[in-house]
Amino acid sequence: MAIKSYDVVIIGAGITGTMTAFQIAKYNLKVAVLEAGIDVASGSTRANSAIVHAGYDAKEGTLKALLNVKGCEMMEGITSQLGVHYKKCGSLVIGFNARDLEELKKLKARGEINGVKGLRILSRSELLKMEPNVSRDAKHALYAPSAGIVCPYDLAYAVAENSATNGTDYYFEFKVDKIDYDGKAYTIYAGEEKVKAKYVVNAAGCYADEIAKMIDDDLPFEIIPRRGEYMLLDKSEGKVAKHTIFVTPNEKGKGILVSPTVDGNIIVGPNANIVDSKADTSVTEDGLDEIAKGARIIMPGINLNAVITTFAGVRPTPTSGDFYIRESEKCKNFIHAAGIESPGLASAPAVSEYIVDILKNCGLSMRKRKNYIETRTINGNCKLFYEMTERERKEAIKNDPKYAKMICRCEMVTEGDIINAINRPIKAKTIDMVKRRTRAGMGRCQGAHCRTKVAEIIARELGIDISEVKKFSSNSNLLLGKTK
Amino acid sequence: MNKKLVIIGSGPSGLVCAMTAVKNGISASNILVLEREGELGGTLNQCIHNGFLKNLTGTELASNLIKAVKKLGVECRTESCVLSLSADRVLTVISPSQGYQKIKADAVIIATGCREQSRGVLSIGGTRPAGVLSAGAAQRYINIEGYMPGKKTVVIGSTDIAFIVSRRLAIEGAKVITVVEPKSAPLSDKKNIKDCLRPFNIPFQLNHNVTKIYGKERIEAVDICQLDKKGKPIKKTKQKIECDSLVYSCGYTPDVDIAIEAGMRIKRDTKGPFTKRNYETTIPGVFVTGNAHYIHKNIDKILKESVVTAESVAKFLQKANQPKKEKKNEDNAHIDRKNQE
Repeated sequence: MAIKSYDVVIIGAGITGTMTAFQIAKYNLKVAVLEAGIDVASGSTRANSAIVHAGYDAKEGTLKALLNVKGCEMMEGITSQLGVHYKKCGSLVIGFNARDLEELKKLKARGEINGVKGLRILSRSELLKMEPNVSRDAKHALYAPSAGIVCPYDLAYAVAENSATNGTDYYFEFKVDKIDYDGKAYTIYAGEEKVKAKYVVNAAGCYADEIAKMIDDDLPFEIIPRRGEYMLLDKSEGKVAKHTIFVTPNEKGKGILVSPTVDGNIIVGPNANIVDSKADTSVTEDGLDEIAKGARIIMPGINLNAVITTFAGVRPTPTSGDFYIRESEKCKNFIHAAGIESPGLASAPAVSEYIVDILKNCGLSMRKRKNYIETRTINGNCKLFYEMTERERKEAIKNDPKYAKMICRCEMVTEGDIINAINRPIKAKTIDMVKRRTRAGMGRCQGAHCRTKVAEIIARELGIDISEVKKFSSNSNLLLGKTK
Repeated sequence: MNKKLVIIGSGPSGLVCAMTAVKNGISASNILVLEREGELGGTLNQCIHNGFLKNLTGTELASNLIKAVKKLGVECRTESCVLSLSADRVLTVISPSQGYQKIKADAVIIATGCREQSRGVLSIGGTRPAGVLSAGAAQRYINIEGYMPGKKTVVIGSTDIAFIVSRRLAIEGAKVITVVEPKSAPLSDKKNIKDCLRPFNIPFQLNHNVTKIYGKERIEAVDICQLDKKGKPIKKTKQKIECDSLVYSCGYTPDVDIAIEAGMRIKRDTKGPFTKRNYETTIPGVFVTGNAHYIHKNIDKILKESVVTAESVAKFLQKANQPKKEKKNEDNAHIDRKNQE
C-alpha cells in the first residue's frame, strides 16, 4: 500500500495540536494529526482548570506572556465561530494582608506591561459585593475582566472537527516510535504504520521531549510531569462563585482556585505535585485534602459535600519556565511546540498562529483553501438538545424522533445527541468519548443511570456486541462476558 | 392537552397512585401516567429476587400492578420524559411517538423514585478505570442485559441491594472477594447477611473501606483498610486485593430534578421536596410520593404512602371542582410541624 504523504503532520491532538490543525485547515494543504491516545484531548488538555487566563502571571517579555494575552483576546472569536461555550467571567486574585497587596500591585504592573486590559485593584467592600461568599478575611483583590472560562476538551473537539471537516486526517492510537528524515521529507512510524510529511509540528505535550529525541534533537530543557488534582461540585453549588478566584501567588505557583465552569458546576483545585510517570492521573487522599483546605481559604463556607467527581491531570512543565516554539536546530522543517503548560489553553489560539508563521518562514507556501467551511461540520455546529431553544427542540424532534428519547436526565442528553456524536467527523467510539462530547453521564449521578443505555446505543450504532464496548481505551471493556 | 391528573413515573408508587385515584372517583380517562423508560414498572423490573409484598419477585409485582392499571383503562405512556413543570402545572413532555408536547394538569403526582448516590466512592484515591460501577448498574447488566460486569469483585456498602447483587454475582459464578462497610453496623437487615452472603461464603467486614483503586484501563486491584473509631484508615491494616471489578452501594437520594428545576422547596435532610400533611409540595396541586418524597425503608411503606397520597389528591381535585365559596384553604392552615424541622 502506498504511504500517505502530507504537507504537514502534527504530532499530538491536544489543544495545541488541534488548534494548529484548525489554523492550517484554512489553507490548501494536506494535513494529518497523529495521536497516541484514542481521542482528541487525551492528555493534559483533558484535565485542567478550564481557565482562560488574562495574562498577568507570565513574566514580561516571555513568549508565554505575549501568547497568553493574545490568545485570550482571540478566544471569543473562535468560540463563537464554532459554537463553543465560553464565558468572559473575569478573575479575581485575593489578598489577605499588606504583603499580598504589594504582590497584587506587582501583578497589576506586570499585566499592564503584558498588555492585559482593564486590570483593577478592588477594595474589600467592592470584592465582597462581587463575590459575597469569599472569605471575610480577604482585604483586596486584583480584578481582571478579560479572563474567562471554557471547556478545554469541548474547544479541542470543536477545532478538531472543523479541521477534519476541511479535510484534515486524524490518526488515533498512533503512538509515534520512530522518525526518519531523508533530507527532504519525514517518515513517521507507529509500529507497522507510517506516514510521510514535508513539515512536522511536535505538539506532543508531556512527550514532546521524547519526540525530539527521535530526530536526535535535544530540547534545551526538561519536561517535568506535574500532577494537579481537582474536585468538581454539583450544579446546585454553581452560583457560589461568579468569577475565577485565586489566592495571591507564591513561589509554588498560582495555587488552588475556585471557579465556575461553563457548564454550571464549580471546579476546585489544583495542587501541583511532581510525579514519576507522565501518565499518572491518579488522585490521592492527601491531595484531595490539600485542595479542600485551599478552597476553604478562599471560601470558608464552600459545600464540599456536593462533590460529584474527582480527577487529576498531568501538566508538561518545562524547567525553562517558558513556552518553546521554534524550528528544530537539528532538522529543517521540524517545529517544536513544547513546554506548553498553563496557560496553554488560553494561549492556544495565539500559539497556533505563531506556529503557522514559523511554517511560512520555513518556506511552506500557504494559499487560502477554496470552499473553506467555517463550522464544525458541513451541517453547521450541531447543537446539543440541552443547548437548544424550545423552537429548535421541536424542529429537531420533528426531523428525528430520537431527539425525543431522553438518555441522561441529569444533563438532558437525548439518544439523538448520542447518535450524532458517534457519527460526527471525529467519531465517538467509547463511553467516555460520548460522555465528553454530549455530557451524558457527567451530572450528579455520574452515569449510574445512563451508562448501560449509552453502551447499548454505541453497540448498536457500531454494530458490535455490548460486551465489546469500552470505557475509554482498547483494554477498558465495560463488561466481562455473558451470564450463565 | 388537558388532564385532571398526571402521574410522573410508573414504578410501584406511580401505578398504585393511578389505581387509588380511580378508586376515589377520578375517571380513568382523565389520568395520564408518564414513564421515561421503555417499559412500565420502574426499578422493580430489575429486581428478580423475591421479598416484595407476599413474597413476590419485583418483576411479578410490577406485572401485577401494570395489569391492574391497564385493566382500569388508565393511559400509560412509555419513553416519555418530562422536561419541565411550571408553577401552573404545565408539563413539557418529549417522547419519540408523541414528539414535543405541553400537557396542562389540574394535579400532578411526582413519583419518580430515587437514584443511587456515588458520593462514597469519590474520596477513594487512585485511578479511574473501567469496572467500577454502582450496585444498581451491576444488577441491570446481569438481570436485564445478561452480561457480567466482573468476575472477581469487591463490594462496598451494606444496603439491601449491595447484598442482593453480591448474591447475584455469586450465583452467576463470579467470586465476590469481600463486602466492606465503612460504618460499624450494616445498613440493611441482618437477615440479608444470612440470606445473601453466608450461603456463598462471602466475607462481610464492618469498619472497613476501600482506600485506593489500581489499574490504568480495567481495574486490577484495590487497597482495603480497617477504619479507626473516627473513620480514618489504620495504615498497618492495609491489604492489596486483586480484583476485576468494584461494585458500590452508598445509599439513595430522591430523583427530583424536576422538582428542583421547578423551584420547589427541598428538604435538606431527606433531599426530597418539602410537603404539607397531604403530600402537597410548595407548588399548589403538585404532590410527591414514594422514594421521590424521601427514601423509604421498604416497598410496603412506599405502597402505603402512595395510597394515602392519591386519596388526598382526589380530595384536592374534588375541592377544586366545587363552585368557589369563600376560600379558606384549610390545608395551608396546619402545615405539618414535623415537616418544618
